[in-house]
Amino acid sequence: MTVMAQAGKKVALTGNEAIARGAMEAGVSYVASYPGSPTAEIPGVLALAAAACGHYVEWSVNEKVAMEGAAAASFAGLRSLVVMKADGLNVALDFAGALALSGCRGGLVVLVGDDPAAHSSIREEDTRTICKAVHLPVLEPSSVAEARDMTREAFSLSEFLALPVVVRCVTRVCHASGDVTLGAIPPVERRPVFGREDRVITFSARLHALLEQKMARAAEHFAASLFNAYSGPGQSDTLIIASGPAVFYAREARELLEQEDRVGILKLGTTWPLPASLLLAHLRGVKRVIFAEEVEPFIEDGVMALAAAEGLLHLSFYGKRSGHVAGSFGPGAGELDVDILKEALAGALGLPYSRPVVAAVAQSLGQEMPVREFALCAGCPHRASFWAVKAALELDGRGGVVIGDIGCYTLGMAGTGYHLLQTVHSMGSGVGIAGGLSQLRRFGFDRPVICVLGDSTFYHAALPALVNARFHRSNFLCILLDNETTAMTGHQPHPGRLTTAMGEAGDTVLPEELIRGMGLPCSVADPYDVEKTAVLVCDEMRLPGPRVLLLRRACALVAVKGREKDTVSVDPEKCLGDACGCARFCSRVFGCPANIWDETAGRARIDEAVCSGCGVCAALCPRQAIVVKRREGVGT
Amino acid sequence: MTGQESLRQKILDRGLCTACGMCVNLCPYLGAYRDRVAALHPCGLADGACWHVCPRSGLDPKQMDLSVFGRLREDHALGCFSAIYFSRAVSKAPGAQYGGTATALAALALEAGLVPAVAVTGGDALAPKPVLAVTREEVLAGAGSKFTAVPTLAAVNRGQKQGLTGLGLVGRPCQVAAARKMAETTVPGYESTVPPVALYLGLFCFFAFAPEFYGFLSCEAKAEWVVRSDIPPEELVVVTAAGEQRWPLAELKPLVRPGCHHCFDSTAEWADLSVGSTEYDPDWNTLVVRTVLGEKLLALALERGVLEIRPYPPERLPLLRRAALGKKQRVLAGDRELSGLALDFEYEAAVLRQQGGASGDGNGTGR
Repeated sequence: MTVMAQAGKKVALTGNEAIARGAMEAGVSYVASYPGSPTAEIPGVLALAAAACGHYVEWSVNEKVAMEGAAAASFAGLRSLVVMKADGLNVALDFAGALALSGCRGGLVVLVGDDPAAHSSIREEDTRTICKAVHLPVLEPSSVAEARDMTREAFSLSEFLALPVVVRCVTRVCHASGDVTLGAIPPVERRPVFGREDRVITFSARLHALLEQKMARAAEHFAASLFNAYSGPGQSDTLIIASGPAVFYAREARELLEQEDRVGILKLGTTWPLPASLLLAHLRGVKRVIFAEEVEPFIEDGVMALAAAEGLLHLSFYGKRSGHVAGSFGPGAGELDVDILKEALAGALGLPYSRPVVAAVAQSLGQEMPVREFALCAGCPHRASFWAVKAALELDGRGGVVIGDIGCYTLGMAGTGYHLLQTVHSMGSGVGIAGGLSQLRRFGFDRPVICVLGDSTFYHAALPALVNARFHRSNFLCILLDNETTAMTGHQPHPGRLTTAMGEAGDTVLPEELIRGMGLPCSVADPYDVEKTAVLVCDEMRLPGPRVLLLRRACALVAVKGREKDTVSVDPEKCLGDACGCARFCSRVFGCPANIWDETAGRARIDEAVCSGCGVCAALCPRQAIVVKRREGVGT
Repeated sequence: MTGQESLRQKILDRGLCTACGMCVNLCPYLGAYRDRVAALHPCGLADGACWHVCPRSGLDPKQMDLSVFGRLREDHALGCFSAIYFSRAVSKAPGAQYGGTATALAALALEAGLVPAVAVTGGDALAPKPVLAVTREEVLAGAGSKFTAVPTLAAVNRGQKQGLTGLGLVGRPCQVAAARKMAETTVPGYESTVPPVALYLGLFCFFAFAPEFYGFLSCEAKAEWVVRSDIPPEELVVVTAAGEQRWPLAELKPLVRPGCHHCFDSTAEWADLSVGSTEYDPDWNTLVVRTVLGEKLLALALERGVLEIRPYPPERLPLLRRAALGKKQRVLAGDRELSGLALDFEYEAAVLRQQGGASGDGNGTGR
């Protein structure tokens, strides 16, 4: 594993690997996380290194529990790391706010992955605004090497401030690769100490004042931090203040416009609290300031407030507030790039600028390119579940509504899931929404209510809503799409699995045990048996709820790993092509990527490269034209 | 348009579906749950077998007579038939209705190898379901009338998928008509060299109850195990483990499937053999022999001592004819479009000319 290479070596790491390495170089003892893009790989890397380094890694049920565990280690004097995505910080926020008040002992680093443009997220939340609200310092790496540096230094900083420190790392840094000169990994030597006399209490208004003092100390410290750096002429009239990967976009824009002699760039690596004295020193000499940051105008608002407070009224500001720094979605939305900053800089300096012209050939190619739609994987059990639910809704005929949740099955909102999902919000929220809708019966709402959620989401945040539903006699069907893993983020284990992140045996907590323990009825079925599942959904919809239908089938990607697949093929004699009344059902409607249409033969075909061998399409084909050859050699 | 969209708009959405099940399992776009047939997804095809096999999408009795019997009917009340008897099973299956004739004939056809399987309506009164019976026991388990509509023909289509053709069917008149239409269909991809159903055992049926009937049964019968139910002319009788309960038929009228009010055929006119009650002697059935195949099966049943028959009392015949005609005449008096009938003026006049079509309440003969 490259990330475990010897100190002194220069190796190529991904941002996530660099962060993991940084934590190990800082001597981290305790790592906890709930997986989320773009940071899901970090705990995985640390888990692989756990045996060699002696630290502990767990995939917790959610980010709040993860942060609580990491805090415990910190209270006992150990260095701890908690990793999450921006949405995860919201889940942990109640505790994070309290933890900011109580402070910590051992260095505690909260590594949050922000996802500007929401490549694999519900929203592009800017973690810095949350950290400002709860008074947590924020570091913001702009490169892979800096991700390692900042993670490592964040532990010392946390101990210096006696406060958790947040490292905000965006997708483009987490997923980039870059050279890192490795430092030494010290042995995990600290021993936990938490005696009867130790107190970590938040119950005092005085603590807020103390917290403000800590933040003031942080601002002072950041003013001298090497993570902030100026590059440019000694005298300039224009300053770009940049953070994260936008630092590089700003540099390139300046270079392309040949403004190196005129424009200075202040790279901010410490974005909260703002290093006021450093900023003022740079602001005093310039006329105009351009902001290059993703997502919110966070530094921008802070700097403008600072300038106003200091009476620097001669400055012109160019950023999201002025509308100069804006991508195709407008200011404050989406990622930045070189072109956006080039346009902003040219606008601020009054230089001619025209957007790059897309070559005609590229334009025509763009028109010919098919739209790449969302798609569940070939053989995905969710597709089978969704078809069964869709069928059940039609068969039931009462206009049942379907409430969604967060996971691979969020794609149920798209064509690949037959546009079934009518609401999608946050982890576990579907159960609460379903409960609320079903309570509207007293006002005349008479549609059956179904919610779907995955197994990992179930453990993460659905349990309180289910308890609430039982107590208040809500009436809905909760369909638990149990694919036996946290599939979307890379198959991390959850409490329903046999082994933990570190490969140790876990004491498995089966969902049906929890559900029945709550006193809720729970049926279990295999979604690959679509017809039976549809009938079961109809049956369950007619029974008083809340009740749970557990559709269990391993994620197709996991099921076929390292095994010989069942082979599925189309019998061209039996497939009638367009003469069949099925109207190309398998490839056009059911929509598994492995079901394709052979234009030349005028017949359905199986794309063996992607087919998982599940055989669901074979059961749905009205002509028995799809043949499944089981591994044992038994034809069906 | 003669495809799924028409089926949905003109039949399903208007509540005219009889839940015969003939369109279910033909393609992936139609399904059935209990007695509700529904379009699962628009197939987008302008023409489809689902529309053509539907007993409500268009039914020309003259055409049906010609294709089944090779001749036109003389009796507009009961259709083509060669004989009519009272009949009963020598050894009546447990739970069988009246004389147990239909169950006995179905079991015999299976055992004699006339058909590889029989589509019957199994399950109990509260949860009836289509069953493709391949053993005598499975046929016997389907004994006893179910008063709700069950898409039994879905089991025929399932059988087709498994390579089973030339099946037996114990079905309502609409199911017999649908299966006959299926055998004749010319929709590409659905033409059959061997018809899906080879033996048609029709049941008398004046109406089926809507799904609400289940609720009625389970509430009114106090959720007791329903052993047997019966609809003689005036009332519903439900026999449970706790005893016998009766309800006047007028109370149940709102629970009748709306589509049944537009049905022209109460005696399964295109079956090989039609079986119903006698409205006279609860231990016997009415048995109408219609085709050569029907005659052969009856002869076999008598030869093997499976059935016994006696002459149909001449004084009862006008009552049966009046009940069947009454239903036809009420349909002709109602919204003709909803019946899906293709009748020429002459035919219609002939039906209306028939004597004895008393208005009645339409419950002349239970099945």
